[in-house]
Amino acid sequence: MRIEKREMASKVLVKAKGKAGAKGSKGGSGGANESNRWTNTSKCVKDWSTWAIKKAKVVTHYGFIPLVIVIGMNSEPKPSIYQLLSPV
Amino acid sequence: MATLVPPATTAPPAASKPTVIEPEKVDYLNLPCPIPYEEIHREALMSLKPELFEGMRFDFTKVLNPRFVLSHSLFMGPTEIPSQSSETIKIPTAHYEFGANFLDPRLMLFGRLLTDGRLNARVKVDLSENLTLKANAQLTNEPHMSQGMANFDYKGKDYRSQFQLGSGALFGANYIQSVTPNLSLGGEVFWAGQHRKSGIGYAARYNTDKMVATGQVASTGMVALSYVHKVSEKVSLASDFMYNYMSRDVTASVGYDYILRQCRLRGKIDSNGCTAAFLEERLNMGLNFILSAEIDHRKKDYKFGFGLTVGE
Repeated sequence: MRIEKREMASKVLVKAKGKAGAKGSKGGSGGANESNRWTNTSKCVKDWSTWAIKKAKVVTHYGFIPLVIVIGMNSEPKPSIYQLLSPV
Repeated sequence: MATLVPPATTAPPAASKPTVIEPEKVDYLNLPCPIPYEEIHREALMSLKPELFEGMRFDFTKVLNPRFVLSHSLFMGPTEIPSQSSETIKIPTAHYEFGANFLDPRLMLFGRLLTDGRLNARVKVDLSENLTLKANAQLTNEPHMSQGMANFDYKGKDYRSQFQLGSGALFGANYIQSVTPNLSLGGEVFWAGQHRKSGIGYAARYNTDKMVATGQVASTGMVALSYVHKVSEKVSLASDFMYNYMSRDVTASVGYDYILRQCRLRGKIDSNGCTAAFLEERLNMGLNFILSAEIDHRKKDYKFGFGLTVGE
């Protein structure tokens, strides 16, 4: 909803900045190329790390309890599925 | 410890240095609770801050395996939400919480999932004999409300050091060293990127068989002192003093902790006009009855709770 729109807006802004940066580097001198490349890589790294952390959060949120259950069911002595599901 | 003569405050002679250091190491590991920096106070405050609750609580713990434990927990009662005004706002809530714990000497996994989608996860991995990674996370479905923290602990012969990384660009490090068999000193630094705050703090802990005294000072303005005296095997008394020199906030509390054969009773009284008591009664093997009461005379807030815990 509102938060998604904000995220989309920030993504658009970042993309626009990236394009402007690329244009600037093309038009600018050769010396500015190095710094623009660094800012572009740092932006890429930031975007990718944000994306990675978001995916990791979703994976952990859905997968942590199943992971604990799988590890527990495979430990010795092996409990049975009935013991897992029954309320006694 | 009966064979050890307490060393004088001046440096002990070199011949007794090995015996002084060895019991230091042994004592460090034999303390009732390991004293990582964050537990320097909490261990002493187990008597003064029991898990008070309001409403009804029912916990069922199911042991499938000596290492694998499931827990089902039901809670119905009002929860307080923080409000700016002096009035307390309470909203009745009810939730069911499912938990799965896996305990291995080298790996511990602890997960709790509530009906509203909140996950509380803790992981403790022994990466090597001395290095431990601890991570905990509270994940919610609401965006930007999740938090996580990872700690790397290194345990040396008579010291511990820890490095913390948290969500919201939180970095922290702390170090605690046993100076004599009874005294340990430590310090910490932290930097919170989101709130642009940084701080440094020092802590000291002196403990013998009968008592534990701790003190902690932080640059955030907090001074906390506590003293716990073990009167006998069954009774211990605790007192605590917290002072914030930035906001001029003072709280002093005194409490008791009775660990009897069939029950554990903890009570405290506060300088904020708050008295609390917490009783855990063992009705039968594996069946515990819990009563919790907190009476805040100043805010006129009365909280009573009862519960039942089934399973170990």
